[in-house]
Amino acid sequence: MIDEATLFEQLADELPEQRWFGARRVDGLERLSELDGKLLQAIVRGDDGARYQAVLGMRDDGALVDATTDHDLALLLFALAMPDEAVTKVRPLGAEQSNTSLVFDERLVFKLFRRLADGPNPDVEVTRALADVGFEHVIAPIGLWRDDGGDYAVVNELMLSATDGWQAALTSLRDLYDRRCPPEEAPGDFGFEAERLGAVTAQLHVALADAFPVETADVESWIADMESQLARVDLPSAVARRARNVYDALRDVDPGPAIRIHGDLHLGQTLRADAGWYVLDFEGEPNRPLDERRRPSSPMRDVAGMVRSFHYAAQVVRREVGGAEDVELAVLGDAWERHNAERFLAGYDGYEEADRVLPPAEARHVVRRAFELDKAVYEVGYEQGHRPDWVDIPLVAVGRLLEEAG
Amino acid sequence: MARRKPKPSRLSDDPRWFQTSTFYEVMVRSFFDSNDDGMGDFRGLTQKLDYLQWLGVDCLWLVPFYQSPLRDGGYDISDYFNVLPEYGTIGDVAEFLEEAHHRGIRVIVDLVVNHTSDQHPWFQESRKSRTNDKADWYVWDDDPTRWSEARVIFLDTEPSNWTWDPVREQYFWHRFFSHQPDLNFDNPEVQEAMLGVLRFWLDLGMDGFRLDAVPYLYERDGTNGENLKETHEFLKRLRKEIDSSYPNKVLLAEANQWPADVVEYFGDDGDECHMCFHFPVMPRMFMAARREQRTPITEILAQTPSIPDGCQWGIFLRNHDELTLEMVTDEERDYMYGEYAKDPRMKLNLGIRRRLFPLLDNNERLVELFHGLLFSLPGSPILYYGDEIGMGDNIYLGDRDGVRTPMQWSPDRNGGFSRADFERMYLPPIMDPVYGFQVVNVESQLRDPSSFLHWVQRMIEVRKQHCQVFGLGTFDVVHCENPSVLAFVRQFTDPETGATDRVLCANNLSRFAQPAELHMATYEGLVPHELLGRVTFPRIGELPYFITLPPHGFFWFQLCEEVDA
Repeated sequence: MIDEATLFEQLADELPEQRWFGARRVDGLERLSELDGKLLQAIVRGDDGARYQAVLGMRDDGALVDATTDHDLALLLFALAMPDEAVTKVRPLGAEQSNTSLVFDERLVFKLFRRLADGPNPDVEVTRALADVGFEHVIAPIGLWRDDGGDYAVVNELMLSATDGWQAALTSLRDLYDRRCPPEEAPGDFGFEAERLGAVTAQLHVALADAFPVETADVESWIADMESQLARVDLPSAVARRARNVYDALRDVDPGPAIRIHGDLHLGQTLRADAGWYVLDFEGEPNRPLDERRRPSSPMRDVAGMVRSFHYAAQVVRREVGGAEDVELAVLGDAWERHNAERFLAGYDGYEEADRVLPPAEARHVVRRAFELDKAVYEVGYEQGHRPDWVDIPLVAVGRLLEEAG
Repeated sequence: MARRKPKPSRLSDDPRWFQTSTFYEVMVRSFFDSNDDGMGDFRGLTQKLDYLQWLGVDCLWLVPFYQSPLRDGGYDISDYFNVLPEYGTIGDVAEFLEEAHHRGIRVIVDLVVNHTSDQHPWFQESRKSRTNDKADWYVWDDDPTRWSEARVIFLDTEPSNWTWDPVREQYFWHRFFSHQPDLNFDNPEVQEAMLGVLRFWLDLGMDGFRLDAVPYLYERDGTNGENLKETHEFLKRLRKEIDSSYPNKVLLAEANQWPADVVEYFGDDGDECHMCFHFPVMPRMFMAARREQRTPITEILAQTPSIPDGCQWGIFLRNHDELTLEMVTDEERDYMYGEYAKDPRMKLNLGIRRRLFPLLDNNERLVELFHGLLFSLPGSPILYYGDEIGMGDNIYLGDRDGVRTPMQWSPDRNGGFSRADFERMYLPPIMDPVYGFQVVNVESQLRDPSSFLHWVQRMIEVRKQHCQVFGLGTFDVVHCENPSVLAFVRQFTDPETGATDRVLCANNLSRFAQPAELHMATYEGLVPHELLGRVTFPRIGELPYFITLPPHGFFWFQLCEEVDA
């Protein structure tokens, strides 16, 4: 078998090239396990302090390669999670940043976790717990590769006819910008779906409150998190001051309980399948530490994420159709966003059972506004760093939210 | 009349013919007038059989032609054993059936078993007193609040399911119009009488029946009077009687319910009706096209239970009734009204009364896509007369007559349908500048090789070449990230030869061109041949199979094993 030093050298050389590897370099090899005779699991620590997983195998030509890149090795890898399931064909699921997913026989999705949590993988933990309390709008794993050290991979069913919520919203917007009619009258209206999605989100929050502990809100820590986020982003001081007022307003209302939440909810994390909407990917924002991701928070934070995502969808398609100068398209895009956010909230608020996990009705908009603003501020920082041309999208949102708050 | 030698039948001896057939709904009244009285008739229909044979349809579905006061388009029957005189005689029907069978075309007819006309002698006798011979042939009661759980179906015209009869001084039960009293199937004499009706028409050569309004045969306290077990017991009896004496016949149930409830009409082991209409597929197709997303279609197909061996769904785009919206939720119904029936006159009961072309804004590409779906989704397609040439409607005609106007044969007087004076026509033909008979007619489209009529004829022909896979094959959605693309594979293995036929259908529900990456790894190595032109496409490899779909475009590919050149 291969010696550890050579292997470390190869990993140190190759891993920084991978998209899923978030660090700049490999600091150390933490664990090396032989699996099944033919595969090697290597857990390394990056210079960012995070642990990453690679599974290697010997190809027919003798080269040691990432097992997800070779047909026969991928089949062996799959068997670690579902040893009794016969599969023959494999393909990658398309570009993914933080994990590597493979589709087997066009019916099963195998997801290899790359950045390992210091404990149970939150997605596995949450989807299983939700399934246990009878919540049907998540894809619960049907196969799992894990040991005492943690979760390494899951297998889910592939929903063949399902549509990504983001793609569905974009389709509605392309129709709207072509027809130029009020969004609720457009044939491609997304309002019905947005309302159903709102109801499913409310049901999700009730199920999360049933499956995980419910705590009293720690408003001071919420505000502290929001302020530190604000401090990291380059905004005029007058804007920052007004933003802080919006956050401070949380102290004057009943913020409702803190529950386990999705943590990174947006249209791209939803799937419209034949049986209704599904919510995906409960890993939270992968750049934040695990215990923070698992910490209970306000369900309004998820709601804010979804509302922000309607804004992004409208603006992304407007750019796509080249409507930067077209005032009518700007008006239509805003109307679409407003209409669908309203329908989403109508669906959400209409699920009365959720009242017990939410702030009282009169406080809800105050809490939501604070989280929406926090999200928009985060987006400004992200766009400044990655896509400066896009920064006006969240900036407009920041301005609007501040104006709304008065 | 000298009896000539009967023409031989060219029908196949196949009890499951209906699973692979293309149906065509036609009205005797509306198709062709042979005696210049302004109304179509059986002799006229017989004269047009050559056209229907050329079109390629396998089975005609006739709406009622029985003796009737015609207050409900013939669904109000006053004599089951006679033809409406304007349509011809029993002899004309026999000759029509012989000529149709000679061309390999079967014929089924609508049979209303739930109720009769109030002019039927049975009802006239029943109403006379509470003690006469037929006193219990209908459903009478003194209490008009009984069975209030049963919904009123014709909301626009009927305040109640009970109507007072001043002669008998009692209320009679009717699930439809108040001039259509419901028969009492608890009475064995009524059951016998109805079986006698079926035998009469089967003896004449009819190939089966479309059973109208079957869910409502019985009434029971504390129920909504739909889908009762007694109804199923009667259907099983009906089926048994037919199977024992009449081979190769079909029963098609009209049960306007959710698919999960409709499957009950196939019976537990396929021992009730051979076929049932799949109602919700149609409104879902319209919704999918409006939203430009596949979900409304895949959703309803996912909710459709499997059916017993030897059964089949009947699917359609339009028929003589309104576009049925009972199968959609309230919000979706509002949405459909908003989209398709901007003029309130177009609403009727819970539906929309338009023909296919006006319903789809005269968008021929979209109409073609709808036909592509109709011919490739699971079920036997049922076409509606006139849709193959793109006829329009006249919403100003009363009731549902707007979609029952004369067939348009040529640009001549009355559209070539009749040589009667215009004033004598049973309904005026369509004459508007877009859909009028001067523009839209069979003769012109037959001359034009790129006409819609020729396209439909070609599609029926291609479907026929693959009727087993389209009629009996499995249905598997192909994964594709683009929400506007609906792709699926139909697959059928012949149990006798072991040969497998696979057809990939890719449909673009959007009015914009769309890319489609089809995840076809399980079909790796197969070579797609486009079914209309037989052009060979690149072999399916490991990578997603990429195709570009034009606006509202669709492709059918036969997936063939690779043969070495």
